[in-house]
Amino acid sequence: MQLLISSVCMALTSAVIGNAYYQKQQFYPAVVYITKSNASMAVIYIQFFVIVFMFGKLLRKIFLGTLRAAEFEHLLERFWYALTETCLAFTVFRDDFNPRFVALFTVLLFLKSFHWLAEERVDFMERSPVLGWLFHIRVGSLLTMLGILDYVLLMHAYNSTLVRGPTVQLVFGFEYAILLTVIASTAIKYVLHAAEMRTDTPWENKAVFLLYTELVIGLIKVVLYLLFVVIMAKIYALPMFVFRPMFFTIRNFRKALNDVIMSRRAIRNMNTLYPDATPEELRQSDNICIICREDMVNHSKKLPCGHIFHTTCLRSWFQRQQTCPTCRLNILRTPTINSTVIPRAAEEPANAAAAAAAPAGVQPAAGADGTMGINPAAAGAPDAGQPHPNGPAIRNPAVPNFADILAEANNLRNEMSNRGGIPPPPMISPFMMQPPFGYFAPPIVPPPPMPQDLNAFSEDELRAMEGNLRTHIEERIKMLRNISIMVDSANILMQQYQGIIARLPPPMQVVPPNPDATAAPASAPSGAAAGAAPAPPGVAAPDPVSASTPVCDKPSTSRAATTVAKPHEGQVNSVAISSPVANASEKVTIEDLGAEEDLNPSTDAASVDVDSEDSSELSELRKRRLKFLEERNKSPTATIDKSD
Amino acid sequence: MAGSALRRLMAEYKQLTLDPPEGIAAGPISEDNFFEWEALIAGPEGTCFEGGVFPARLVFPPDYPLSPPKMKFTCDMFHPNIFADGRVCISILHAPGDDPMGYELSAERWSPVQSVEKILLSVVSMLAEPNDESGANVDAAIMWRERRDEFNRIAQRLVRKTLGLSA
Repeated sequence: MQLLISSVCMALTSAVIGNAYYQKQQFYPAVVYITKSNASMAVIYIQFFVIVFMFGKLLRKIFLGTLRAAEFEHLLERFWYALTETCLAFTVFRDDFNPRFVALFTVLLFLKSFHWLAEERVDFMERSPVLGWLFHIRVGSLLTMLGILDYVLLMHAYNSTLVRGPTVQLVFGFEYAILLTVIASTAIKYVLHAAEMRTDTPWENKAVFLLYTELVIGLIKVVLYLLFVVIMAKIYALPMFVFRPMFFTIRNFRKALNDVIMSRRAIRNMNTLYPDATPEELRQSDNICIICREDMVNHSKKLPCGHIFHTTCLRSWFQRQQTCPTCRLNILRTPTINSTVIPRAAEEPANAAAAAAAPAGVQPAAGADGTMGINPAAAGAPDAGQPHPNGPAIRNPAVPNFADILAEANNLRNEMSNRGGIPPPPMISPFMMQPPFGYFAPPIVPPPPMPQDLNAFSEDELRAMEGNLRTHIEERIKMLRNISIMVDSANILMQQYQGIIARLPPPMQVVPPNPDATAAPASAPSGAAAGAAPAPPGVAAPDPVSASTPVCDKPSTSRAATTVAKPHEGQVNSVAISSPVANASEKVTIEDLGAEEDLNPSTDAASVDVDSEDSSELSELRKRRLKFLEERNKSPTATIDKSD
Repeated sequence: MAGSALRRLMAEYKQLTLDPPEGIAAGPISEDNFFEWEALIAGPEGTCFEGGVFPARLVFPPDYPLSPPKMKFTCDMFHPNIFADGRVCISILHAPGDDPMGYELSAERWSPVQSVEKILLSVVSMLAEPNDESGANVDAAIMWRERRDEFNRIAQRLVRKTLGLSA
């Protein structure tokens, strides 16, 4: 068909030229004869287009080889659109309409088609299994040639506009500027793809680079189009012919912007919320990222639901959907306080330096228990309809197995050391300090500010401080007595808990009676923490409030106790005393718990022993703590709203 | 190193070739282009499509597996969940964002965890048990529900046609 048309054209042209020569015999009159005759000119024009077409085919053969079906289809589609737009442009410049003008538009269309083809080719790089050196030479030379041509033509249009004022060259200058951006983005994509092909490992940041390229080029294009429309509307008329491409450009830009935002959010979430998968976890799973079906050697993340994926695979998926690919757990709505609890757990072992093994192991364990068990239930209250993830790595929060908790704690600490880069969020808020303070420092005797170093004070100042010391010590002794009563009552409570546990049916996974718990208050920390752990199974349904109490209060309480203790003792034997105090205060926490749950009336009996002032203090404390817990339960949802 | 979509498709091809599920064969039409596959699906036994071998074409997007492929039967099909032009309408092929019929749960939609094998197995089960509530082909859905004999006859004719036997 094409061959037929071109040969017919050839024949016609030779007929026209032969006829002219035959009639005029000389070169100059023959040329004049042809240009004067409309029919001859028509034939010549058609011949011109045929030559352009053939030239295009030749270039295509050189630079691109055979086109794929899809490429050809896209080319044809875009070509027709461009052709109609060119015709629309003709209407604006109908005064300048002449053969030169048509020729310029033909060249523009011609170049445009090659830009599209180059774009398609580079996009195809990623999907093509084998690419030889021929491909690289072809694409490289094509891109260079197109770039140079665009630049030359742009400069030509620019200069002619400067010299002769705004003419139709304005349109060409603008079009070539757009084509230049197309070439730039194509070249960047080519470089990125080629760079990735050279390595044997997937290049993780390529997608991000591509995104930003798209964004920047999109922005430049949008600005160019807007400028052009404004200029054209001022000088000529509204340029209808750029509206379609402008619309698509703006849409693409919006999409790129959206992608960048989503990707940034995904990256941020992944960096802050989800821990890296440890080698053990990888070994436990089948070690294959189910998104890309490749081994996970490094850079994998574990989601709250326990599923593990490549960081990059997850990121590209989160750009579209904020769900776990496997279980479709909504990631954004599941508050993960892992990252907030971990740093506090980190401080804990440091505090308990001497007491080493038992308390250090157990306290983070309680923290871990609170985190793993409670977060989905308590903080995720608004999305209660969410299916609870039942990943293999997650225990059922209703049955906190003690051995599991310990293992979890060790894991947590491992993860913690792995992810050193993340700064610990400020968790010790003044609010958390308040309840213990309210109890230990009655408003009658406000404690003096803690002195930095006693040597820094003069004799008089020291004496002035000493003045209150006696009353303070008396106060303390009184308080310590109260505390010892409470410790005893807590012990009673513990025994009752254990009694309940012992009476439970066997399938319940019960911690065997803990020797620490019955021991003297000297070994209180381990006993207290151990007591906190089995308590929830004893209470049939673990109330999130009750279970989270040890998590949030223990560290602050003990710390507060220490701070209070120091000034009063004048730092003489504060260390010796403050630790039992701290232990005792933990006991208080548990006792409070029992009272809150109304589990056992004996708690009240025990509390009655404490003098009336204390019991009122206690009820006050309970109220505050309840309020605090409410706040705390609310706060995760608040953070989610913000992140949304 | 080629693109991630290509690598994943190659991995799936390898897996499907080494360990093919029963009644299913699939692979790229040509090794130059891994983004267009051809699949052959045997009609499930004990159904009106039993004995037939139905050819289909799968077209994968450049961002596979983040987006689902498109599937189209290249033979004549008469089924409530297959459009007249052969396009397959099952939830596993729909991205969670778009819901053409407005009733699917997001849990049964596409996710990168799905694979060609799972898609084809879903299609086999779709052939066995049409979902007459999503009417890709309303005529077929009504016939399936109300005039099962006629539906079975048409299906049998299609089966013979795919086998190259005259109706």
